[in-house]
Amino acid sequence: MAARDILADWGVKEFREIDRAALQEITLGASILATGGGGDPEIGLLWALSVLEEGKEILLVDPDDMPDEALAAIAGCLGAALVLTEKPPGGRELFWCYQALGRYLGKPVQAVVPPEAGGVNTPVPMAVAGAVGVPVIDADGMGRAFPELQMTSFYIHGVSPSPTVAADEKGHVTIADTQDALMAERIIRNAAMAYGGISWIAGYPMTGKQLKETAILRSISLAWELGRRVMEARRKHLDPIEEVLSLTKGYRAFQGKIVDINREFGAEKTKGFSLGRITMEGIEEFKGHKATIDFQNEWLTLRVDGDLRCMPPDLICILDPATGEPIRTDIVRYGYRGTVVLIPAYERMRCPKGIETFGPRYFGYECDYIPVEKLMEGTG
Amino acid sequence: MAERLRVGFDVGGTFTDGVLMRGREVLAKAKALTTDDVTGGIITALDELLGSSGVDPKDIGMVSLGTTHTTNAIIERRNLNRVGIFRLGAPATTAIPPLTGWPEDLKRAMGGPELVHIIRGGSEYDGRDIAPLDEQAIAEACRKMRGKVDSVAITGVFSPIIPKHEERAAEIVRDILGEEVHITLSHRIATISLLERENSTILNASVITVMQRAVNSLKQAVKERGIQAPLFIVQNDGSVMSADYAVDYPIFTVASGPAASVRGAVYLSGIEDGVVVDIGGTSTDVAYIVKGFPRESSITVTIGGVKTNIRCPDLLSIALGGGTIVKHRGEEVLDLGPESVGYNLVRLGKSFGGPLLTVHDVAVAQGELDRKLDVFKTDFLTRPEAIRALPRGLVAAAWARIKDRLEEAIDKMKTTAEPVPAIFIGGGAMVVPKAGIAGVSEVLSPEHFEVGGAVGTTIAEIGAYAEGVVDLEREDRDEAIAKVTEQAVENAVRAGAIRDTVEVMDVEEIPFTYMPGKREKIRVRVKGKVLQ
Repeated sequence: MAARDILADWGVKEFREIDRAALQEITLGASILATGGGGDPEIGLLWALSVLEEGKEILLVDPDDMPDEALAAIAGCLGAALVLTEKPPGGRELFWCYQALGRYLGKPVQAVVPPEAGGVNTPVPMAVAGAVGVPVIDADGMGRAFPELQMTSFYIHGVSPSPTVAADEKGHVTIADTQDALMAERIIRNAAMAYGGISWIAGYPMTGKQLKETAILRSISLAWELGRRVMEARRKHLDPIEEVLSLTKGYRAFQGKIVDINREFGAEKTKGFSLGRITMEGIEEFKGHKATIDFQNEWLTLRVDGDLRCMPPDLICILDPATGEPIRTDIVRYGYRGTVVLIPAYERMRCPKGIETFGPRYFGYECDYIPVEKLMEGTG
Repeated sequence: MAERLRVGFDVGGTFTDGVLMRGREVLAKAKALTTDDVTGGIITALDELLGSSGVDPKDIGMVSLGTTHTTNAIIERRNLNRVGIFRLGAPATTAIPPLTGWPEDLKRAMGGPELVHIIRGGSEYDGRDIAPLDEQAIAEACRKMRGKVDSVAITGVFSPIIPKHEERAAEIVRDILGEEVHITLSHRIATISLLERENSTILNASVITVMQRAVNSLKQAVKERGIQAPLFIVQNDGSVMSADYAVDYPIFTVASGPAASVRGAVYLSGIEDGVVVDIGGTSTDVAYIVKGFPRESSITVTIGGVKTNIRCPDLLSIALGGGTIVKHRGEEVLDLGPESVGYNLVRLGKSFGGPLLTVHDVAVAQGELDRKLDVFKTDFLTRPEAIRALPRGLVAAAWARIKDRLEEAIDKMKTTAEPVPAIFIGGGAMVVPKAGIAGVSEVLSPEHFEVGGAVGTTIAEIGAYAEGVVDLEREDRDEAIAKVTEQAVENAVRAGAIRDTVEVMDVEEIPFTYMPGKREKIRVRVKGKVLQ
């Protein structure tokens, strides 16, 4: 069945076709919202582009247009970013995942919902939807990028990631039907190691009703608009940072030059994250001030002159002031100059269960979550 | 025996510069117009050097050049080889086939889709096979390629760590297609990141013949003039490789020119760590040097519209040069450039009675210039009254703005907050501020900087590197580093270095993220000498 047939079946007449230009714009937007992590989206973009080249369609649908009883699932990858760039997918992996998931549930999965509106797991679901022949729902599970399977708005609002299906390029399929989300995360990550570094996954099966109640709605449109405006700003030599701020209600919290990068090679390394702290020295209106940013794959906390200005799940993006291009935690280095933009997380991410799952304490900080709006009060 | 002489050439867009060196001494310089075939200009410059110096050609121990042969061929899609393309990685990787994202005309120049094959094979990061290599499929594809390809590119998944499938595939290709077809293996070309490495490998395969012809005709020309010295080509990191090695790896010469300039600056100044600021007429390139070599760029390098992961020097270009126009209203400076009058300086600049205020004119008004400009074959000032008429405040403000611009560019390229020495070279070096530059301990402008690129080619050093992935839970870190170092030394020797002279420049460790365990990538860079 093709995506158009599913939409006709749902009685949906309005949807958006994702073309080459749209894919580029969505990918740029997603890399800005990836908060320094999320893997290199280039592979996802190239895959989605080659899906279009085969004559397949990628159709984006508003979440409100999805019937309450229809079934959606996330599609993406989990594992080592470095392996992804060296061993791109065969193209059938997620097809097998969707098949297995449908069989296991006894009901076909009719839509893809991106797990993240940030990083490689935004263009990948686009490619999958095109290849499998189902629509993409304009929503995601976090409105940014996070490293672990349970770190989603779906989970904190009661949707289980189980059953989650993982597959590799040879058709080896793992179904993790677990009692709790952390165990699913563990099994899928271990499957990734057995598969050679990457698990291609479909999971979080949910009905249209659940999706509307738990997902971050219209976040793919936001990434798209963000990418579109930043590209336009580049063409017209306008300030791309202003575009980001006005669209996301964000803050220009700091501008500076990276003077120190401290990557931790200690015990934390066994957790499988790139950990560390960067120090920035202020330039222009921030001259004389100092900022430190901690990272665990993604940028996590920002301090300016020792004062906390942002903590998870609020977003920290470091962008090139001239081009709006984001810098990632794995390639950042001394001398880079960037503007630090803070973006409030969606309210759906800020419930108590959310703060417990991906707030400061989960990442090892002994402090309570304070929203960025409050931390930025009175800083001008 | 007297010290052997060295001859070096730097092929630029307009001019080909040549130098004849004895030790650190420049014995002769030559300048010839760059010819379409590149080789002609080099031969003219060589004859000028031999003629003006009168040296015995037998005393020459090394001939080297920085060249644009390959870059031009790729950009102009000229004389490219038809390439048979093998990727070893199915059933993985097939979602993104080779040549995805390539410009259509370049794709066509490679020979067409029937020459592209994704074969079962390749490795996982931990050494397992993705699939056993499908030798039969390779043999079958080769038989169909007979007579249709000049060159073959083979790229295997994780080959930079486990090259065995690429090597086996090469044997099969060699058996069926014979010696006349050239084979490029990706693990010899670039590092992890399949698609970019594959692009680099295919591009390399496409310019083999271009480089082969260039090397053959230069060898011939050198021999005819009684020179019995080996020929070397500058590679992207500014070191040299033997010409025969360059024929196998022409893609390593795409950034040969700028890399040679940086090396020349290092050599002429004797400074091994710091910044090199190459100031031209319209722009300035800033490079950071570590242990005498330009720092490498960490981002992808696009060649002829194709994304590659070829190692190239990290250069910051800013629109500031001797001809840059100073925009002003009265005494107030509005902006510097980005427009430049370029070679029209002698017509348009205030110093020559022209209407526009340029960086050159500001330097003249500051009293910084006291010698003739070789490039323009004229004095630096023909209308002193126009310079005298400039408001003092404007000149001071412009001078300060130029200094700011330079300071910012230098600071962007530095890797520490400590002040470092800066080497200013290029035709514009004499028209910018050199005193009190922030973040800089001293500014040097060595002699002969106008032929710095040619001098840079004569530094008889070879650079090489190797990479590996280790699991620190199972392997000893020091042993792992030693293993990678050994491979890097082998690579240097293969490029023409004398084994005993090879030393380690740096060791880089990059952890795998999103993966439990203590796996990391180790990268070792080495350098060695060509002459004892």
